[in-house]
Amino acid sequence: MTRLAPVWTAARYLLVGAGTALLSLLALTGIFLVAGLSLISIGLPAVPEALRLVRRLVDVERGRAGAFLGTPIPAAYRLPDGPVLTQVRTVLTDPATRRDLVWLLVHGPVGLLLGTLAVALPISAVNHLFIPVYWWLVPGGVQTSLGFVVDSWSTAPLAVAIGVFYGLLWLQLPRFARWQARFAQRMLSPAEGVSLVDRVAELTASRAGALEAHGAELRRIERDLHDGAQARIAAVVMQLGIADQMRARDPEAAFDLVRKAQDTAIDALAELRDVVRSIYPPVLSDRGLDGAVSALAARCPVPCTLEVAPIGRRPAAIEAAAYFIVAEALTNITKHSAAEHASVRLEATDDKLFITVRDDGRGGADGNLGTGIVGIQRRADAFDGHAELSSPLGGPTVLRVELPCGS
Amino acid sequence: MRVVIVEDDVLLREGLTLLLGNAGIEVVAAVDNTTEFLAAIAGMRPDAVVTDVRLPPTFTDEGLRAAVEARRVHPGLPVLVLSAYVENSYAAELLADGVGGVGYLLKERVGKVERFVDALTRVAEGGTAMDPEVISQLLVRRKPDDPLATLTAREREVLALMAEGHNNATIADTLVVSEGAVLKHIRNIFTKLSLPNDEGGHRRVLAVLAYLNA
Repeated sequence: MTRLAPVWTAARYLLVGAGTALLSLLALTGIFLVAGLSLISIGLPAVPEALRLVRRLVDVERGRAGAFLGTPIPAAYRLPDGPVLTQVRTVLTDPATRRDLVWLLVHGPVGLLLGTLAVALPISAVNHLFIPVYWWLVPGGVQTSLGFVVDSWSTAPLAVAIGVFYGLLWLQLPRFARWQARFAQRMLSPAEGVSLVDRVAELTASRAGALEAHGAELRRIERDLHDGAQARIAAVVMQLGIADQMRARDPEAAFDLVRKAQDTAIDALAELRDVVRSIYPPVLSDRGLDGAVSALAARCPVPCTLEVAPIGRRPAAIEAAAYFIVAEALTNITKHSAAEHASVRLEATDDKLFITVRDDGRGGADGNLGTGIVGIQRRADAFDGHAELSSPLGGPTVLRVELPCGS
Repeated sequence: MRVVIVEDDVLLREGLTLLLGNAGIEVVAAVDNTTEFLAAIAGMRPDAVVTDVRLPPTFTDEGLRAAVEARRVHPGLPVLVLSAYVENSYAAELLADGVGGVGYLLKERVGKVERFVDALTRVAEGGTAMDPEVISQLLVRRKPDDPLATLTAREREVLALMAEGHNNATIADTLVVSEGAVLKHIRNIFTKLSLPNDEGGHRRVLAVLAYLNA
């Protein structure tokens, strides 16, 4: 039975493949329709939308084939943006679009055929193997799938041979499934060079963003220190100087000033603490990211469960960003979600850190409205990371953040 | 009162020794690392210990761990932790054994000598001394429907002072009201938060802190 397991898996794969093949044919029909209408230009606005639907279908196949082969298939599309005509140009000149279309054309008929074979082969094999048992019961003999009729004992063995052949062919299903998956992998992966070019463009943008964010952060720290602690310590020095002047003439007033200087110094310390906390929370350096995030979860008024895989130490900037992202997410949950329960999950691979914050609240959090969410997005962007918010009305709200952290 | 100090910054260590000495508190040992600190506790049997959080060798939270360890070995040993910043989860860790005799203050509170000595005395007697900043951190970040929201402004003040570890007389002094009025506020607070009001003194404070930490 274990030897048959791959065959079953392959049969299932090819059967679903027949489904996507049907959808491919449907999609092709749609595309021809849109293309036809585009000739008289009324179809143009539908082009990006149509191709977006195709991309969704193709993404399903990517996931399926990637899972089957055990290696995820990356996608690299140019994202259509701006006025309709620009969008049309973007999607039509994208080499990935051409490759998608080729895949649709091939996968449509071939996928349908393979899916049919996956079902028909075993049934037909069994049927042919049993023909010698029952042909004499059927008046006029039994028609085989190769055309001839079994109506005598001399032709019956031929039917068995066909049955065996179909059975052997059926055992080859894993090979067919692999072909299908490899073809998807070949056509649906970004063309050579494309992913690198896009990646360079993306990195250039995010590097500029990171520099910008870093600059803004430095200016903020400078301003905070200058207007806060620095000014207050200057005042302390001055107050002590005046106390020194007055100490002979009016000791009582001098003492008052010393006390006032102490209060001012205390204020300066409080401001320094705030600045330090906004740069790199001390608890991070004491306890590491997992410890610091546990402290956040423990402090969250909404009961919060924590799942933390061993993360080890990461670059300080990444740890701080992750910490602030979790802190902001939990603050949002506390303030807006009306959730009964929240959960924080931290995972890491060698070069990536994954944060998932989830709550069972009312949902409807909007990335365009909430300032907290914009802040999270900005922090993730600064490290070429990625933040994604899903919050349907009625919940649950899930925030997923991915931070690259070459360690 | 006999006290052991652990603080790695020499200026602060000597300053603390001088300041406590002036206040009539005997500093039996002032050390700069946790090994000597734990040895001093075992050897000197002090009435209270004062410790910094960040200490050598790693300068993370050795002092805090040492304090928790010391209280494990010597249950109820009064510990006053001083730190450049406060982190409520540390306060929760210190309070976790529910015994009392715990203090957690910002370093600059030392400057107000009288209040600092008062806090240390309270801790040595098995009471608590939580920094106002710990309490204010606990009071913010609550859910909109938290029962705390039903407290009046005055009741919140009383709650905060109570959570810091002050007794009714001090609370009354600080807020310039009568002790009777403070008692009335406290009764209201306990009713609104549905906390049992049958415990007096330090146990009451621990109950309030446990409530705020939950």
